[in-house]
Amino acid sequence: MTAPAATAAQTASALARARRRSSVARFWRSYRTHRAGLFGLCALAVIALVALAAPLLAGSDVQSVTNAPGAALESPSAEFPLGTDQFGRSLLGLLVWGARISLTVGLMAAALSVAIGTLVGIVAGHFGGWFSTLIMRITDWFLVMPTLVLAIVLATVMSRSVWTVILAIGVTTWPTTARLVRAQTLAVESRPYIERATALGGGHGHIMTRHVLPNVMPLVLAQTTLGISYAILTEATLAFLGLGDPDVVSWGGMLQDAREAGAVSSGHWWYLAPPGIAIALVALAFTLCGRAVESVLNPKLGVSNR
Amino acid sequence: MDTTTVPRNARPSSRVRTLLAVGAVGATALALAAAAATPLNPAPRQVKAATAAADGKRTLTVAVSQSVDSLSPFLAQRLVSTTVHRLIYENLTNYDTKDNHAIPGLATKWEPSPDKLTWTYTIRENSRWSDGKQATAEDAAWTFNTMMKDEGAATANGSFVANFKKVTAPTPTRLVIELKKPQATMAALDVPILPRHEWEKVGDFSKFNNDKKFPVVGNGPFVLTDYKVDQYVKFRPNQKFWRGAPKFDELVLKYYKDGDAAVAALRKGEVSFAANLTPAQAASLAASRNIKVNDAPGRRFYALATNPGARSKDGKKFGDGHPALLNPKVRQALFAATDRRTIVDKVFQGHAVEGEGYIPPRFSAYHWKPTAGQKIAYDPEKAAALLDEAGYKKNSAGKRVGKDGRPLDFRILCHAIDPNDKAVGKYLQEWWGDLGIGLKVDCRDNVSDPWLAGEYDLAFDGWSVNPDPDFVLSIHTCAALPSTPKDTGATDNFICDKKFDELYAKQTTEYDAAKRAGLVKQMQSRLYDTGYMNVMAYPNALEAYRTDQIKAITTMPESGGNIWGQDGYWSWWSAVPADGGDTSGESGSSTGLVIGIGAAVVLAAALGAFVAMRRRSTAEDRE
Amino acid sequence: MSTASTAPLAEGTADGPVPVKTGPSGPRARSARAYLLYVAGKLGGAAVSLFAVLVTSFFLFRIIPGDPVRTMTHGRQVSAEQLASLRHQFGLDLPVWQQFTGYCVKALSGDLGISYQFHAPVGELIAQKLPATLLLTGVAVVIYSVLGLWLGTRSAWHRGRLGDKVNTGVALTLWSVPSFWLGLLLIITFSVGIGPIPGMFPTGGMESGGATGFAYVADVAHHMALPVVTLVAVGYAQTLLVMRASLLDEMGSDYLTTARAKGLRDDLVRRHHAVPNALLPTVTMVFINLGHVAAGSILVETVFSWPGLGGLFYQALSVPDLPLVQGLFVVFAGAMILMNLLADLLYPLLDPRVGR
Repeated sequence: MTAPAATAAQTASALARARRRSSVARFWRSYRTHRAGLFGLCALAVIALVALAAPLLAGSDVQSVTNAPGAALESPSAEFPLGTDQFGRSLLGLLVWGARISLTVGLMAAALSVAIGTLVGIVAGHFGGWFSTLIMRITDWFLVMPTLVLAIVLATVMSRSVWTVILAIGVTTWPTTARLVRAQTLAVESRPYIERATALGGGHGHIMTRHVLPNVMPLVLAQTTLGISYAILTEATLAFLGLGDPDVVSWGGMLQDAREAGAVSSGHWWYLAPPGIAIALVALAFTLCGRAVESVLNPKLGVSNR
Repeated sequence: MDTTTVPRNARPSSRVRTLLAVGAVGATALALAAAAATPLNPAPRQVKAATAAADGKRTLTVAVSQSVDSLSPFLAQRLVSTTVHRLIYENLTNYDTKDNHAIPGLATKWEPSPDKLTWTYTIRENSRWSDGKQATAEDAAWTFNTMMKDEGAATANGSFVANFKKVTAPTPTRLVIELKKPQATMAALDVPILPRHEWEKVGDFSKFNNDKKFPVVGNGPFVLTDYKVDQYVKFRPNQKFWRGAPKFDELVLKYYKDGDAAVAALRKGEVSFAANLTPAQAASLAASRNIKVNDAPGRRFYALATNPGARSKDGKKFGDGHPALLNPKVRQALFAATDRRTIVDKVFQGHAVEGEGYIPPRFSAYHWKPTAGQKIAYDPEKAAALLDEAGYKKNSAGKRVGKDGRPLDFRILCHAIDPNDKAVGKYLQEWWGDLGIGLKVDCRDNVSDPWLAGEYDLAFDGWSVNPDPDFVLSIHTCAALPSTPKDTGATDNFICDKKFDELYAKQTTEYDAAKRAGLVKQMQSRLYDTGYMNVMAYPNALEAYRTDQIKAITTMPESGGNIWGQDGYWSWWSAVPADGGDTSGESGSSTGLVIGIGAAVVLAAALGAFVAMRRRSTAEDRE
Repeated sequence: MSTASTAPLAEGTADGPVPVKTGPSGPRARSARAYLLYVAGKLGGAAVSLFAVLVTSFFLFRIIPGDPVRTMTHGRQVSAEQLASLRHQFGLDLPVWQQFTGYCVKALSGDLGISYQFHAPVGELIAQKLPATLLLTGVAVVIYSVLGLWLGTRSAWHRGRLGDKVNTGVALTLWSVPSFWLGLLLIITFSVGIGPIPGMFPTGGMESGGATGFAYVADVAHHMALPVVTLVAVGYAQTLLVMRASLLDEMGSDYLTTARAKGLRDDLVRRHHAVPNALLPTVTMVFINLGHVAAGSILVETVFSWPGLGGLFYQALSVPDLPLVQGLFVVFAGAMILMNLLADLLYPLLDPRVGR
C-alpha cells in the first residue's frame, strides 16, 4: 500500500488468485453434476482414511507372524471377520494395511509417469525441429514396447522393493501422456499471447513454466487420475507374479500368498475375494474420478449424462 | 478425439462394413488355423488311443508341475525328466524299496578287483530294447564312453564318470569299468543306459532332445509313446519287461503349471495322482471321498547356510559375506535363535520333521543326531549370551554392534518361487530382530548369481538326498571349491574344512557298509559343529491319489514312504488299477464335449447375431 | 488389469488409435500414389521401430547382473577352460558391439539363439507355443470387439438412460478387476465348484488329449471357455467406451441433421451414417489391441496353465533364460509394431474423408 506499483502488483496477484479460485469453483460445480465421479471421490476418501488410520483400526502388529493371534487359514468368524492367512494373521487387518502400499505405489507411479510424460511433451512441443522429432521418435519407440512385459523385466532385474515397482511402472507408461501434452503444448504456443510474451523477453523457461504448464495442467490432472488406476492394477499384477516387495503387505501380494497357500483348490474363497475386490474398487474409483474430470474439462467427449 | 473438420462422406458404410467383415473373418480364420495347427502330432495315433479307451483301457494319469527340460538323459536335470528316464531306460543297478540297498537293474551282479580299481558288471540277458534288439554291455560301454568323451553328453551326469579311466565291453554280458582311484559309489551309478544303435546317429548331443521320434526306443518298464511340450508325456507298458509288465494300460504325465489346477483335477478324477501339495490342500483333500493323502517322510533337508567367506582353491577370497559370520559363536547364536519347532508347526503345518543332522531320517543307515551336549537347542537367552561373549553387544538403539562399529545386519538369499523361504524369512526377521539383529530377506528368481559370487551372508539351502550320500557330502569339500574366483565349483556353500575332508576321503574308499555309515555320521557331526549348514527341517512329501483309480501302489520306503520322485520306477510300475477302473475320465470328457459344443454354439450365435444385425440394417435400407 | 490395454482407460485421450491422434500427419492426398507414399513411410517407421526393439532387447538384458554361463553351470564343477568354451559357444567372449551386430543379423534372419534351459532353438520353442496364444487371444479379441461394438452402439443410442448407465457401469467395473483374480475366482467357482455349483470346466491346459476331429475342437473349446471369458470380461470395456464416445461425437454432426432433414428415419440415420463413421476409430483400436493382447495374456495363461507364449515368458524369466526372454520380448514388441502398422495402413482405406 506504500507505492502504487506495489498496489498494482498486489492487485494483479489478487486478481489471479481470485480467477483461479473462481475457476476451481466452476470446476467443482461442474464436477458435482457427475454422480459417478462423486461416488468415486467418496470411495477414495473413505479408502484413504482407512489407509491413514491403519495403525488405529488394525493395530500395528498385524503383520507380525510370531504374534499371530489365530490358527492357519481360519474361516471368517466374529474374531476374524475375513478369516486368517496361513500364518494365522487377521486378513481384515492385512487388507487395511495393504491399502497403504497399493495407494502409495499407485499415486507415486502415476505421478512419476505423468511427470516424465509432461516434461518430455512440453520440451518436445516447445522446441520443435529435429530435437522434437528425435524426442517423439523415442516416445514412439517406447509406445510400441509391450508395457507389462517391460515392467516385468525391469522388476525382475532390480532388487525387490516398493521403489522398484514404482520405477518399473513409472518409466514404462509415460509415452501416452507425452504425446497428449505435446499436442496441447503446440496448441497453446500457437496462441497470440505466447508471441507477446516472447516479444517481451520471456525466455524458454519462462514460457514453458508460466504459460504452457498452467495450460496443460488440467490435461495432466485427468491423465494422472486415470493413470493411478492403471498403476494400482499393475502393482497388483507385479506383486502377484512375485515381483513385489516381500517385506510389505500389499493387495497383490496377498493374492499371491493366497495362491501359494493353495487357497484356490482348497476352496478358501474368503482369502481370495477381498483383496481383489479392494483392488477393483480403488481402480474403479480412480477411473470414475478421472472420467468425470475429463468430461468437465472437455464436455464434447459426451461422457456426461447431460 | 477427432479434431479435423473435413466434411464427412455420408455413404462410407458398405466399404467399411466389408473391410470390417474381412477383418473379422481374417481373425476367425487365424484362430481356426491356429486351432488346426495345434495338434502338431499326426492324428492316427490319437484315433487308436480313442478306440482303445472305448475298450475300457485303464489309464494312470499323474499331474506334474515341472516342464520337461529335455528328454535326452545326457541333458535332463529336472526331476520330472529324470523320472521319465527311470521309466523308459534301465540303470545298471536299482534300489530296494525297503532299505535302499543296491539291487540288480540292467546288471545282475557287480564285483571289484582286489585293488578296487576295476569293476566288472554282469549284464542280464533277458532285457530287450522295445525295437526287439538285445540290450548288451556294448550299449552300457557306449553310454559311459560317450559321456567321457563328449562334453555335451556330460551335461547332466558327467560327475558319475569323472573318476573313470576306461570302460569296455569284452563280451555282450560283461562290462568292465576301470577307475582312476577307488570310489564307493559304484553300485549307485544313476545313469540311464541308452541303445547304442539308436543314439550313434546323433550328431550334437548338446542339442539333441530325443523328442522327435516316437515311440522312443528303451528297455524300462514303460515305453514313451508321445510327448507334447508342457502338455503331456504318454507311455505304454513294456509287456516284455524282465521284472514283469506294469498293470495299467497307459501312463500319462499331465502338465499343470499351477498346483491348484492339479489339485482340482485330482478332485474331479481327471488325474489319479498329484504331488507337492500345500498343507491347506492336503487338509481339504483328506476330507474328500476316494482320495488318500500320503504324508511321507521326505528326502530333502531344508537348511540355513552361512557364508564362511567365499574362496577359491588358489586361496583367493571373494564375495562380501558379513565378517561376523566367521565367528562360530555368532553362527551358533543365530541357530539358537531359530525356533525349528515353530517352523515345522507353522510354516510346514506339521508336515515336516524337525531338523538335526544333515541327512534326513528317511535314510536311516546314514541319519545322525547330535548328542545332548552338542545340540544347539532353541534358546534366545543363550543366543543373546553367545553374542555378548562374541563381542556384539546391544547399543542404546537395541541393535547389536561389533567392536568395529559394524552392526549385525544380515542379508538372506531366498528363492522367490519358494513360499517356504519367504515364510521362514518372516519368522527369522522377528526372532533375530528381538535379539537386535537386522535381516533383509533378499528374494530372487535367480539366486545363482550372488550365490556363486559369494555375495550373500545367509541363504536358504536344500538338497534332495540320494540313497547314496556321496554327492551331498562331496559338495562341502575343499575339492569342490572353484579353482579361481572366475570358475564355477561344485561347492554348495564354499565350506572347506580339513577334518571334514579327511573323513570324506576315508568314506570314499571304505567298502564296508557299516564302517562307511559310521564315517558319514562323523562327517555330519563335524558339519553340525562348524555351524555353516544348519538343518532346520526335513519337509515331508505331501501327495495324494484317487483310491477309485489306484487300488494299490508301492511307496518307498515300503512302509510309509513317498510315491513321486522315488529312486527307481517302483510306484508306477507297481500301481494296481482299482476295480471299475477309470470311468470318471470318460464322463468328464463327455460333459466336456457337451459344454464345448455349447461354447462353440454360443460363439457362433454371437457372430451370427452380429451379422444378422448388420444384414437387417441393409434390408431396412432397401425398403 | 485389463490385458488388452496397457495405457490408462480414457476414451478420446489415451490409447486412441494412433493415426487419429497423429491427425495432421495423416494423408490428405486423394491419389493412389499418395497412398503408396504413405505406406512406404509407415513401413519405414515400422522398420525403425523394429530395429529399436532389437536394440532394446539386446541391451536391456545385458544389464541383468551376473554371468549367464556361470548361472548355467551352477552346482557343477566346471573349469575356467570349459567356461571359456561355453562363453565362446554362446558368443559371449566377443566385444559387445560385435555381439550386437551378430545378434541383429541372426535375429533378422529368424535365428534367436538357443534356450539355456530347453537346449532348443528359441525360434522353434516360440513357434511351438504361438498357435495356442493366437487361438486364445484371437477368439477373445473377436468376441470382445463384437461385444464392445454392439454394447457401445446401444449405449450411445440410449445415452443417459438406465440401460446406458448399467452398461457402462458394468463394463468399467469389470475393467477395474485384475484379470488374474477374475481367473482365479472363475476357477474356484466353475472348475473346483463351490457349494451347489459343480465343477463344470477343466482347471487348466488346452486339451485332455486323445480326442480327434470334432471331439477335439469341442475339447479345446471346453478348455478355452474360462480363459476367454476372463479376457473378454476385462477387455471389452475399452471397445465399448471408444465406440460409445465416437458414436456420440458423430451424432452431433451436421450431416446427420441434413440426413434427418431429408426425411430418413432416425434409427436408419444412425445405423447407416453414424455407426459406420464411428466404427473407424474403434476398428483401428481393435487392431492395436491385437498387438497388446499377446503380451497381456501372460497372466491369464499363467493362471489357466494355457500352453502359450505368456506362460513360456514367465517360465523363461524365472531361470532367467536370456535368449528365450529376449526372443519373446522381440516377438511381443514385433506383434505390436505389426498391428500398429496394419491399423495405420487400413485407416486411410476405411476413412471416407481420405478415400476417393
